[in-house]
Amino acid sequence: MSLPEMSALFPTLQEVIFVLFALLIAVTSLIAAMAPNLFHNALGLVATLFGIAGIYFMLEAEFVGVSQILVYIGAIATLITFAIMLTRGMMFGRTSAMNRQGLAGAIISGLFFVVLLGIVFQVPWPNVVADITDGEALIANLGALFVSTYLLPFELLALLLLVALTGALLLARDR
Amino acid sequence: MEFLNSWVLPIILFWPAVAALLIFITNDERMIKWGSILASLLPLGLSIYLLAAYDQGVGGMQFVVDIPWIEPLNASFALGADGLSVPLIFLTTLLSTLSIYYSAGTIRYRVKEYFLMFQLLELSMLGVFMALDYVLFYVFWEISLVPMYLLIGIWGGKNRGYASIKFFIYTLVGSVAMLLAILGTYYATGTFNILDAAAAKPFMNLPADQALLLSSLAFWGFFLGFAFKVPSFPFHTWLPDAHTEAPTAGSVILAGVLLKLGAYGFLRIILPTFPSTSAYWSMWIVALGAIAIVYGAFVCIAQTDLKRLIAYSSVSHMGYVMLGIGAAASAMGRNPDGTSMLNDPAVFDSAAMAINGALLQMFMHGIITGALFLLVGVIYERAHTRALDKFGGLGTLTPYYYGFFLVAGFASLGLPGLAGFWAEFFTFRGAFALVPLWAAFGVIGIVMTAVYILWRIMQSLFFGEYDSTKLDHWTTVTGEHADGPTDMVAFEKLTLWPLIIGMFVLGFFPMLVLNYFNSFSVGMLESIRTLF
Amino acid sequence: METTLDLSTLNLAVVLPELTLIVFAILVMAADVFATPKNPAPRQWTPWIALAGVVAAAIVNLSVSGREVTLFQGAAILDKFAVGLNYIILLATGLGILLSVKYIPRINKQVGEYYALTLLTATGMMMMGAALDLITLFLALEIFSLALYILSGLNRTSPRSTEAAIKYFLLGAFSSAFFAYGGALIYAGTGTTQYYGIAQVTAAGLANTPLLYAGIALLVAGFGFKVSLVPFHSWTPDVYQGAPTPVTAFMSVGTKAAAFAAFFRVMLVALPFSYGAWSMPLALLAVITMAVGNFAALQQRSLKRMLAYSSIAHAGYILTALAGGAAEGADAALFYLFTYAFMNIGAFAVVMALEEMGAEDAMQDRAKGLGKTHPIMAFLMAIFMFGLSGMPPLAGFYGKVLLFEAAVAGGMIWLAIAAVAFTAVGAVYYLRVIANMYFADPVDESADEVNRSLPLDVGLAIAVAGTILVGVFPGFWMNAFQQSMALFGG
Repeated sequence: MSLPEMSALFPTLQEVIFVLFALLIAVTSLIAAMAPNLFHNALGLVATLFGIAGIYFMLEAEFVGVSQILVYIGAIATLITFAIMLTRGMMFGRTSAMNRQGLAGAIISGLFFVVLLGIVFQVPWPNVVADITDGEALIANLGALFVSTYLLPFELLALLLLVALTGALLLARDR
Repeated sequence: MEFLNSWVLPIILFWPAVAALLIFITNDERMIKWGSILASLLPLGLSIYLLAAYDQGVGGMQFVVDIPWIEPLNASFALGADGLSVPLIFLTTLLSTLSIYYSAGTIRYRVKEYFLMFQLLELSMLGVFMALDYVLFYVFWEISLVPMYLLIGIWGGKNRGYASIKFFIYTLVGSVAMLLAILGTYYATGTFNILDAAAAKPFMNLPADQALLLSSLAFWGFFLGFAFKVPSFPFHTWLPDAHTEAPTAGSVILAGVLLKLGAYGFLRIILPTFPSTSAYWSMWIVALGAIAIVYGAFVCIAQTDLKRLIAYSSVSHMGYVMLGIGAAASAMGRNPDGTSMLNDPAVFDSAAMAINGALLQMFMHGIITGALFLLVGVIYERAHTRALDKFGGLGTLTPYYYGFFLVAGFASLGLPGLAGFWAEFFTFRGAFALVPLWAAFGVIGIVMTAVYILWRIMQSLFFGEYDSTKLDHWTTVTGEHADGPTDMVAFEKLTLWPLIIGMFVLGFFPMLVLNYFNSFSVGMLESIRTLF
Repeated sequence: METTLDLSTLNLAVVLPELTLIVFAILVMAADVFATPKNPAPRQWTPWIALAGVVAAAIVNLSVSGREVTLFQGAAILDKFAVGLNYIILLATGLGILLSVKYIPRINKQVGEYYALTLLTATGMMMMGAALDLITLFLALEIFSLALYILSGLNRTSPRSTEAAIKYFLLGAFSSAFFAYGGALIYAGTGTTQYYGIAQVTAAGLANTPLLYAGIALLVAGFGFKVSLVPFHSWTPDVYQGAPTPVTAFMSVGTKAAAFAAFFRVMLVALPFSYGAWSMPLALLAVITMAVGNFAALQQRSLKRMLAYSSIAHAGYILTALAGGAAEGADAALFYLFTYAFMNIGAFAVVMALEEMGAEDAMQDRAKGLGKTHPIMAFLMAIFMFGLSGMPPLAGFYGKVLLFEAAVAGGMIWLAIAAVAFTAVGAVYYLRVIANMYFADPVDESADEVNRSLPLDVGLAIAVAGTILVGVFPGFWMNAFQQSMALFGG
């Protein structure tokens, strides 16, 4: 057995890291959904988001990965955590995350998983991927696309933020 | 004259709409009642003009109006009248006028809405008889449901909610099936014009098996639409409920005109548009017709409610119409050698007779059953019950009423000299030649008709001694207390006289309407004969 | 790789109606700022400013409608279809605002934000029809959905309204996830998110089929949530019942119109070459939706829930035209939604007038005897009910004819037959309302007060005029919506 053949039997380092990240995402997202304490849920969510950022890095989408960490973990998850910590009942309370439909939900999501699995095995995944330009050019490109091809979606994003702000005002302000 | 001839149909059609609008803005009940009566005279007068002005020598569609309407749909506002529709338009306006006149004397609450609904009803029925465009036809067909639904639901008897919704839903099921058939026909012919579609003979250019399948689908779509309305056995179950609960004038229109819409559809659309398919399925029509005749008659005998009895007699009598139509349809196919069966003059004559019989039956049944329902209303307004066992011996107490009922009853059972005779004669004359077995079966119905008219109605109502203990609460027609049955008053007599006279006149001179019908049926059969 | 901005494709006309609405939304908020407890007048102007915005957007829409098909850098398109949808959305928004004028201040004082959000919702809905790129589509969807989550929870003192908002939000977020996942898979399968690009790749047979089909399935599920197809419909009755009635009226038409417009455009423009894969599933969905919607509506005691299930059934009718796959289907759907805007908002307006002060729901009993106590309201409701049941010559009839014609044109004759049969079932519960109004006696004489106001009356007048006039003279609008969609390569 030659060396390349032998090495094909072992996972590459990349694969090992991927599996680790995938496991992290799977376990922590379960915590986020099912832990009885809301604070634990939030921490689980943070870890999940972190794991997803890791996947982005592995795909060499550094910009997205950094944004993920900055925005989701740095801002949103922090906000959520603060909100929970400021509320005693939420911080220390224990509520079951399950209701009567737990079994049905498990069955449906299980089926969904099986279907996805089927698709994964059926898809003729391409072996060669397009060359990825180096990070800096990628970001420059991204910026250029935002003001050219994706100008309209970019502006719509702004509108979406406006809606969110107005809505937050409507919900939070004293009557 | 020129102007009148080209616009007479829209004027007749939309005059009730104008009247409805006037009623809508009027608040005085007397004015509404008299205004409605006067308003209904114009369409009646104009429909008499139609009878006179229709040129039978020329035949075909006359007074045609054709205005583009919904261009994206290729639907146009097309009206016309021929030998088939002219008498039926007259029947509609006549019965509408009489019903409105009768209602003016008997309707006491929500007067405005009532007469508004009646005008809309007249509009929709006239529209169906005049429309030459499928979309327009369907629109009027459906509109006719709404006022009748409300008439039954608001002014009906105890069980009116159930009866009205049953009426609506049953008919709606039929008409949505018809809508699909209309769409199918449109796809096959590219036109919504009823006459053009009939001339194009949809689906016939396809390979034989495909043609049969598709045209059968369309045929049964239309069949359902019309059979629910006729109503043909076994689609008749809504009819007794609707009739029993409807106000008197509503029953008159329902039996007199609305049922005819279904039969009209068979003759205007199904037979001319799908002749070979109709011939293929004709035995079903014949069988359903014959069964309806016999079944309806037997059920009549078992009834204890006078109005329900008359309602079932309608089922039975509309069976004659189906029998005639089916018999004629059976002659529309091909001989084994591929020539038209109608090439044989004897077959042609029999088919024409069958159609003429069916048409006469439609017209006569409108008059006779209209009168019968009015007569039921007369007694109901006084006794407030329709149970047959509560009556008896009315013959001597209310001679006028007895006389009217006698004439209408005998006309209904087909006594020679009265209107009903000719209808039955022609129908069976045609049917015996074309579908002898079923015709023979149908004869049982004629016998049973005599039984229920004479034994059930006449015997229960008029014969014997009057027994005041059976029913102690009598009123006059205006609702004041009375000690016993009182005879008809002037407005009731005036409502019924035209119908009674009609029964005699048409009994002796059936040609008065037969000529129109004959010009239609011969023309239609001729066009089918020359097809092959 | 150098990307330059090509100004010639920066065609602002494409989004001009949307921009108009945004400007007015900002004006509304600006006016609201000047309102103080001492001087509340500017706040009372906000509905009229919003209404002016709707009218202005309609005028702008009219002015851009003559142009040929124009693209906005492949992200959005202006064709007859988008223009037609804009009219429908603006109509629903205008009627919704008229309904809100007296109602909203009773439940929430912050009317300024309310009208601003309403206009922004409409903007998102209009973008749905114009979107020509899955990314644009997703953002438009998020904009109007987010706004609607908030609007349905407007009545913060009512548990039912809050429940509606939470439920709508959770399920809506769920559907957004489906949507995004589906879009991503389609991108993975075809290498592009632009509709024309997807059509090009699939036409050439270069797509990664399993990924593409999985993407389509998820996308259909996402749309299914928004237009409430069975089995994605469970939120509909609760949200319709719990949300403030003017919001329900507006969103029942607006969401459906916007989501269906986008649905038609994605399927007919981006994925016509996968027709074989999606036509039959959609046809089956349509049948289930019509069945569940109609039969469940039969059993409802609350008028709003009845209308909610009826709206599910109507989604099924519209879906038949899409399952047919013919381009006429898009025109039919637009015409249908146009008529539906009049009838459905009209019906909700009557229901709103029937709701007692403070109570949030009108039961079937409330309609009893209405023909005697409030003949005009009863008459209007009867017109809307007959219209919804598809009775000619009211507007709903021609819409149904066009829809079923489109199904037949696509070769789905059995589907048209099923749809027509369910129409007959549907007539039962519409008729029941009419029967209650005219054939029954009032249940409670004391509670027969009807909440009317001038704006509501104007809204009702527009709705009933539309229901009748579009029914009697449908030709003009059929023309306006004919051959509306700019198909790929067409």
